[in-house]
Amino acid sequence: MSKYFIEGLSEFWASKTSKMGLAFLLIIIIISMYTLFTFPLDYGTRYWNNPKYWADNPKIAMPEWINLFVGNKFLEHNILSTSTIQKMYPSGAYYIKTYEIVYDLMADQFPTFITLKFDNVTFFSRPPTIEVLVIRPDNSTINLYKFVVEPPLSTEEPPYSRYVVEPKRIMLSGEPQLSLVLSNFLLDKYNLSIDPKDVAEIGYEKVIFGEPYENGFKPLKGKYVFTTTLYARDVRDQIGTVSIVIGGQVYGLMGTDILGRDLSQGLLFGFPVALLIGIVVSVLTTIIGATLGIVSGYVGGRVDEIIQRVCDVMNNIPQLPILIFLTFIFGGKLWIIVVILVLFGWPSLVIVVRSMVLQAKSSSFIEAAISVGASRWRIMIRHVFPQVAPYILAQMIFFTPSAILAEAALSFLGLGDPSIPTWGQILEYGFRNGAVFLGYWWWVVPPGLMIVFSAITFVFIALGFEPVINPRLRRWR
Amino acid sequence: MGLKRALTLKAASLVVVLLFVLLLTTIIIGATGISDKILNGMVQDNLRAIRQELAREIRNPEDLERALEKIKEDLIRSYGLDKPWYVRMPDMIWRIVTLDLGNSRTVVSFSGSNKISDIILERLPNTVLLMITVLIINFALSLMIGVRVATKPGSFLDRLISMYSAVSYALPTWWLGILMILVFAFYLKIFPFGGMYSTPPPVDPLVRSLDLVWHLCLPVLTLVIATSGSWIYITRSIVITTAQEDFVSIARAKGLSERIVLWRYIIRPAAPPILTNLILSLAAYLGGAILTETIFSWPGMGLLYFEAIMSVDEALILALTYMYTLIYVIARFVLEVLYVIVDPRVRYA
Repeated sequence: MSKYFIEGLSEFWASKTSKMGLAFLLIIIIISMYTLFTFPLDYGTRYWNNPKYWADNPKIAMPEWINLFVGNKFLEHNILSTSTIQKMYPSGAYYIKTYEIVYDLMADQFPTFITLKFDNVTFFSRPPTIEVLVIRPDNSTINLYKFVVEPPLSTEEPPYSRYVVEPKRIMLSGEPQLSLVLSNFLLDKYNLSIDPKDVAEIGYEKVIFGEPYENGFKPLKGKYVFTTTLYARDVRDQIGTVSIVIGGQVYGLMGTDILGRDLSQGLLFGFPVALLIGIVVSVLTTIIGATLGIVSGYVGGRVDEIIQRVCDVMNNIPQLPILIFLTFIFGGKLWIIVVILVLFGWPSLVIVVRSMVLQAKSSSFIEAAISVGASRWRIMIRHVFPQVAPYILAQMIFFTPSAILAEAALSFLGLGDPSIPTWGQILEYGFRNGAVFLGYWWWVVPPGLMIVFSAITFVFIALGFEPVINPRLRRWR
Repeated sequence: MGLKRALTLKAASLVVVLLFVLLLTTIIIGATGISDKILNGMVQDNLRAIRQELAREIRNPEDLERALEKIKEDLIRSYGLDKPWYVRMPDMIWRIVTLDLGNSRTVVSFSGSNKISDIILERLPNTVLLMITVLIINFALSLMIGVRVATKPGSFLDRLISMYSAVSYALPTWWLGILMILVFAFYLKIFPFGGMYSTPPPVDPLVRSLDLVWHLCLPVLTLVIATSGSWIYITRSIVITTAQEDFVSIARAKGLSERIVLWRYIIRPAAPPILTNLILSLAAYLGGAILTETIFSWPGMGLLYFEAIMSVDEALILALTYMYTLIYVIARFVLEVLYVIVDPRVRYA
């Protein structure tokens, strides 16, 4: 074997396909390592499936780089925060502290929503009042929101902390009282009489960030200063962080889904998962299949008969229906899916390995080994296995993409492991929410590309291996 | 004689496969208590029907309850629910074989019945239509392109085919379907998003069948693109391998025309292995068809799988798994018959 194998290996190196495959594999490994080191292992349950974590993100936003290809730029998503106190002065019974955030509107579009966020508010005596107003580029002012921090309970001791675990979020776009404020503002500033109900219809963002233009509104470009004022009774009272979320139409590298989840994170997390599924399934399948194949071929007799019959039956079962049935009954846990894929994967290997072993068995060096009194196991491991090893290795590589694809298919049917985000699951969620029919390409195209990319990596490597196994194909390459 | 024997042997082994799947599924649903759940559901359905009937005859509510209680006990006994699952296994297997699995909870057939056998039998022809269309196209393509490419190995077209087959191996059929819908239905608007007929379906038979073809285009195209690569490649590889046999060189040396060499000395002996490989790829192809139906809302059994998973309908999934195994076994048998016809060695062995 060795001469052929070494010749084959040099052939493997020489082939462009295998080089490409190895390069792709390197990329996948690097990305997987990066993901494993930067993401927590419970990412799926802690972040991905936790809608609160994604609350500040725009829903179904396109990737940011789309702006490179369009004339009329989409507005980018922006989260602006500050913790520094701009001004502080006593006024009557109050201590007043202000926080300022400046937002520069440069795009030709309106923000899709505005959310105010307050983290870590501490106070020592009576609950403070917080007020937010915006000074627009034309120097007009709009009072956006005003609220009193929740008062202390009788069991609490000062200092009282609020909004520590979960920030206080105010979705301005859904605040009914703002419509009256904006209606009055339009009347004062532009002498425009619009009913509060109609203001809500037009959208608050258009009034806050725009000026009347023809029959609608157009964005008013320039600097918007959002001033947050804290009316405190104690000089030590303060807000930890004030943030303003300016909802964009584009977000991040890969956009977001209907829950506002950053798709780039889900896609990244899919890499180590796919690699794990592919490698674990292929290695286990190959170990079982190769062992049984060698035993079946070399030992022969009744053992061979039994193994062959079992393989015959297993090989003839249509895989996907039975996989669907089993994962449906036993539940979508990743390890269960792996076990099922292994259980129904090995028989195809046994049959081919067996026939190769039968050929090897009749060769003279095996006879020689028998004649010097080598044991059965020794012959199988030392003499037969090396004969079939290249083929087994190639099959192992070839099993990998089918495992990745099978898991993706099961996930797509809604049978995936919900605690671990995979590409198949992203696709399933997109498909079920009509992404295909509404043209949300950034939601359904990239995860599929990732599946193809990772599967094709192993196909390329396996193809590079083909001349190693089948010398007849060599002269054509 | 040899022919009959070979076929009987094949048929027997395929029946064993079917039995194995039936046994496996019955044991699993028995041991996990799902068969109890399915049978209980059937008892409840029966009771509901009987209650309505009885309520007309027996006015006294207490008598009605007592009569119903007795009927319920009879039903439980007749469905074997008083016995452990392994005792009623033969009964359960028979139920699966005859699709006597009661009613689906949420899925309703086009004619309004919610009986599982009605739902499945109604969808079966749609699945078969889709699969056979693709099968025929694939077969034609693999013979036409595969053989042509094999005569010029290493050519540009050959490399293209190799590349295409490698890519299509890594290409999930269902994702390709999504791409097809995005491109041809969403952006270009030349094909429908899915389904089998436009709503409302055309009345005129000719327009109706044209409408069907129009709806069939995208799913068929998807399946062909996804699966024909490997078919063509398999054909090509086997033809190349056969072309290097000594008897081919001898035929050429004898001065036979290239045409005769190709058809008689290369394709003829290559036919059995080609068929074997096609038989082996049938399972993968079946899987692709299930998912393609889902993507294109093609009202076949594949889409039914998706609906059954969504509505957690165990009985329906059980019935579908059996039906797909049955289809597969039948298709296998047909191909085995073909195999026996093309490979004389099987006949005279």
